[in-house]
Amino acid sequence: MKRYTLLILTAFALLFSLNARAQEQPETWFEQANAAYNAGSYDTAVTLYGKVQAEGLESVPLYYNMGNAYYKMRQYPMAIYCYEKALKLDPSNDDVKNNLAIANLAIVDKIEPVPESFIVKGWKGMRAWLSGDHWAWCSIVAFALLLACLYLFLRSRKIGMRKLGFFAGILFFLVFALSVVFAMQLKQSAERQDQAIVMTPTVMVKSSPSDTSVDLFVLHEGSKISILETVDGWSKIRIANGSVGWMKADDMLPF
Amino acid sequence: MPNKKRKYVILQRENKESMKKIFRLLLFIACVAPMTLLAQDDNPKLTVSAKKQVVVGERFQVVFEANAEGKNFTAPSFEGLTVLGGPFTSTSSSFSMVNGSMTHSVKVTYTYALQAYQEGTVHVGSASLTVKGNKITSEPFDIKVSPDDGSYASSSGGGGSSQGQGQSQQNTNDPQVSGKDLFLRVNASKKSAYVGEQVVLTYKLYTKVPVSSLSVEKMPSYAGFWTKDISDNNGGSLRQTSEYINGIEYTAAEIQKIVVVPQRSGTLSLDPMTIECIAQIRTQSSNRPSNDPFDIFFNDPFFNRNITNVQKEISSQSFSLEVKNLPETGKPASFAGAVGDYNFKSDIDKTELKTNEAFTLTLTVSGSGNIELLQLPTPVFPPDFEVYDPKVTTTTNNTSQGLSGTKKAEYLVIPRRAGNFTVPAVEFAYFNPSNASYQTMQSQTYEIHVEKGAGGDGDEGSIYASNQEGIKYLGSDIRHIMTGNPKLKPVGTSFFATSSYFVALLALLLIFIVLLLVSKKHEQQKQDTAANRNKKATKVARGRLRKAEQYLKVKDQDHFYVEMSQALWGYIADKLGIERSKLSMDTVSEAMKGKNVPDDLTQQFIDTLNSCEFARFAPGSAEEKMDDLYKRGIEVITKAEKVL
Repeated sequence: MKRYTLLILTAFALLFSLNARAQEQPETWFEQANAAYNAGSYDTAVTLYGKVQAEGLESVPLYYNMGNAYYKMRQYPMAIYCYEKALKLDPSNDDVKNNLAIANLAIVDKIEPVPESFIVKGWKGMRAWLSGDHWAWCSIVAFALLLACLYLFLRSRKIGMRKLGFFAGILFFLVFALSVVFAMQLKQSAERQDQAIVMTPTVMVKSSPSDTSVDLFVLHEGSKISILETVDGWSKIRIANGSVGWMKADDMLPF
Repeated sequence: MPNKKRKYVILQRENKESMKKIFRLLLFIACVAPMTLLAQDDNPKLTVSAKKQVVVGERFQVVFEANAEGKNFTAPSFEGLTVLGGPFTSTSSSFSMVNGSMTHSVKVTYTYALQAYQEGTVHVGSASLTVKGNKITSEPFDIKVSPDDGSYASSSGGGGSSQGQGQSQQNTNDPQVSGKDLFLRVNASKKSAYVGEQVVLTYKLYTKVPVSSLSVEKMPSYAGFWTKDISDNNGGSLRQTSEYINGIEYTAAEIQKIVVVPQRSGTLSLDPMTIECIAQIRTQSSNRPSNDPFDIFFNDPFFNRNITNVQKEISSQSFSLEVKNLPETGKPASFAGAVGDYNFKSDIDKTELKTNEAFTLTLTVSGSGNIELLQLPTPVFPPDFEVYDPKVTTTTNNTSQGLSGTKKAEYLVIPRRAGNFTVPAVEFAYFNPSNASYQTMQSQTYEIHVEKGAGGDGDEGSIYASNQEGIKYLGSDIRHIMTGNPKLKPVGTSFFATSSYFVALLALLLIFIVLLLVSKKHEQQKQDTAANRNKKATKVARGRLRKAEQYLKVKDQDHFYVEMSQALWGYIADKLGIERSKLSMDTVSEAMKGKNVPDDLTQQFIDTLNSCEFARFAPGSAEEKMDDLYKRGIEVITKAEKVL
């Protein structure tokens, strides 16, 4: 019995150690970039954070610090872009949410979002409690507890314990199912890149994907848009107030 | 010429109309009439005198003169001319006694002030007057109006009209004032300046002739400048000095002194200033041919002050000022546009005080420059201080070098909370044009110690709530960067739905299944042993009893007791699940009590066991004893079988 458990545990340890690669060099860059930020040379900090990013690495602190450096350089669209990326990795991070809200005050466009129904709001709010990875871990823990309850239900000789096992089991099943769905949705949205930040100072949003079409409205840099589809270098976009139009894909940075 | 004649001249002058000042009409009636008696003419005459040639816009006079009093003076229609005033009537009569005979002569003049307003020739008709029933008329005449050449001089009142012919008294050679005799100059204190630097402009009138009644016609517009008049007009009279220009002495009068401060860069041009003045010129009538000794005598300047008032418009030269932008290099952050030479200091009346007491912080800038437009720096007080709007006082001195003065801002501040506070130093930066560099001066940093005063801050008791206040947010900024472990991972990796995730789930499931199986098997085993023993207990006991029966038949005492004992002990041990090693009378009775076996049965069983053991180790007993034991054994086992 104990031998089996030990074997499984060692197998786990092996799997995770494969994921954790040696990352000393990018971490020193990160430290140097933080030092540059503290010294006030924000452009150096941005360059160093960019070097870490170029290694194909990402994390909430990396995007967050990069966004801060851009903010201090008054490049608000890039700052918003970095904060949004950080928020995509971890929708629950309070620091990121705070700084994103401040950066959004510095841009031209103020778009009133369409009010969402309280179910959608509640769903999104609950999803934003944890990051995708945390939801995945949450699902594993819930699964373990579910099995424990099932064991209790099946094996206990006392009626009270069996009842407890049954109802707690239902609860943990619900938690497990929700975590799986949340984790899945967050993973999908991270992979899809269906949102973008406008990077050109002033953009005319057209009625159709051609330069000659009617100008619908004007967007300015830093505004967040949702990409609905992309055709021949033109993207069909929707802004937070529900307006839909076409603009060139070059004018935005998707995330 | 008889010059022994006594002559009495009575001059009577009478103005019937009040003279209007704007025309500055100076009417001199010269009564140096020709003294020949022969000249006495009784025929009434109406003569006219006027300029034959005028300039558009010029004001001039037409004088009709009658040598007798009359009535019903009718003026011609001055078509083509504007009548500014008139007729001004004046009458003069003179009596002269020559050799006892007295002559009385009367002269009546009707004067019109006119102005020409268009070019061409204007025909003036004849005027008429009724004298003693006879109507007399003047001769009509033409006036040629020539175009305006910019500067005309109008003369008024020719003094020396002593020709006596009764003809027009036109001054053919109008006196002019040359530009060399009378001119206006503007002097700037510098030719080029920085934006905000003050430049003093002095307008001076240079003249060699007496000048009266100055009036400024046109002031420059000073577009792009901030201006301040600093001329010291002490009661309207101009300060006069004597200056030499090119060796010629001029009387110089300062018309205006003005400080201009350019507000933008570039070449800013200043319009000329135009003034109108009346020059008083002594005309020399020596060129007039005259053989009249009286004429010569009276034309002497001493007697005959031939002063002509010439109205003249003169302008200063226009000039431009080169205005440079302030240099960008080395411009301090605290620079707010002050240009000049300043001194900056700060002063505080007390630094040790109690809450709700006031102190005053004074910032003073003094020096030369445009002190009125100067902005004083604003000190930053701790947020718990109540600061009132500063009282700003500006005192300026106008000197010949320009403006200077002092600007003072007094801040009344009341600390509301106790503690040690710092009022940081403020910087005042200005541009000094004399060495073309920025200068920065700092005020002092003040440490203010505030103690709790009576009332207000920190009072005990019920005042607590009223004294509370929310946190004041002084600014908003993004939060600081995250330090520590960056937790970097490759882009696009998420734990969900990876192999490790599924492996973890599967492993959990595996553990669960294994645990379930193991526990089930274990239970099975446990249950198996207990049930078997229970089930087999009767069977084993029966076998033993059968053996005992055989031994009873052959009367083998030893073996009988052994089998009997084993049958009883074995049965009860299997039935009650007691291990053989722990088997004793006490454990059996306890176990039987635990299984709710009736007490009498337990007692019976124990008794049977006891007698069996006793008989086993005490041989030599009777046959019937063995038989009895056998029967008792079967009985208790049968009874126990029912209960257990």
